[in-house]
Amino acid sequence: MNLPPVLPDAPASNVVGETTSITLFTTQRWWGRAVMPALFVAARAAPGLLKAMDSLSFISFASWSLIRELPYNGPPQALHRLRHQHLFFEVHFNGSWAQYIDSSVRVLTGGMRSFWGSSVTFPGPLPAAPFQQFFSDHEVDLSHYYCAYPEATVTIVRSALELEERLDMFAHRAALLREDAFDAAWDAFIADAQRLL
Amino acid sequence: MRTTNLAGRTYALIVLTPIRPGLQDELRAYLGTLPGEDSPLARVERTHMARLLIVDDMPTPPGTDLADPLGNAYLLFTSTFDGELDGYLDELCERLAPEAAQIWGRCIGCPDPPAGAALKTCLAHNQIESGLAFAAYGDASVAQVRSALDKRERLTRFVIRAQNLDPAARRSAFLEEFGAR
Repeated sequence: MNLPPVLPDAPASNVVGETTSITLFTTQRWWGRAVMPALFVAARAAPGLLKAMDSLSFISFASWSLIRELPYNGPPQALHRLRHQHLFFEVHFNGSWAQYIDSSVRVLTGGMRSFWGSSVTFPGPLPAAPFQQFFSDHEVDLSHYYCAYPEATVTIVRSALELEERLDMFAHRAALLREDAFDAAWDAFIADAQRLL
Repeated sequence: MRTTNLAGRTYALIVLTPIRPGLQDELRAYLGTLPGEDSPLARVERTHMARLLIVDDMPTPPGTDLADPLGNAYLLFTSTFDGELDGYLDELCERLAPEAAQIWGRCIGCPDPPAGAALKTCLAHNQIESGLAFAAYGDASVAQVRSALDKRERLTRFVIRAQNLDPAARRSAFLEEFGAR
């Protein structure tokens, strides 16, 4: 059986702890200048459109922007008009570069078409290998990457936030419990909180 | 009107600043020397994640003649932080002052010295609006995330320790560790 070629994973500069970053610029087809802003408006108005992304549980933050022109700061900056519009995309996620793309194209197949369909040379989300190549062709590597809590995955952060709420409530209640009632309450709390630890 | 840069309470900042001709390799080399763990960006405590990179040119789609040379290399700074932009830029310009000369000092249009209100104006001028932002826990601040992670770790350790305590000692140790102060 012929296995698909394994593409190199993220360079070290794009990784900090458990978190990996992708930065992408893709050239837009002429109709992208109308479709992408409409897609952004729709996704902001109906956050359900990003729900599938949320369900992946390994993407912490992402943003998209349509770059129509460059900020101009005066000479010696070349006064330059872009020939095309470009879609800027940045994402922070846990896991390897290849895993991110593979899982994203399988779970977000429709969304991938919506977000990348207006980009020149977009090969379609599946199979994953050409889509990986598409990302690789348009990616720019980082020179410096910072994460405030690099060892925590999205799942751990979400669990910790939920756990803290429950723990604070239990701590408040525990202070009011009689000594002989604490143990049963503690056991119940731990049974409930187990999945968040 | 609500800004398009927000996801929950988390702001996605994108700043694209032209680099002085010929200084992009120097800047790239300097950025490469910044420590990851003790990044200067850690001093701007509202920052969840941030990146600095050099964009020499827009990537050209392979097999096409759609090259779009920028005519200048650009420094791209993006930051995902909690709260509003104005105060964040104040904090960034104040707390990154020791490194700002090496970073934005190599950029066109940035003040000399690159610091304070003048740098803030420069960064704001070079901001590119996000069209859409996503955050998996956009309502949690960096401080909340850190506090929650810390409590989770402490609770995990406490659960193990509590197994060897008698009921009265367990309650007392729990309240000592997690009770209201």
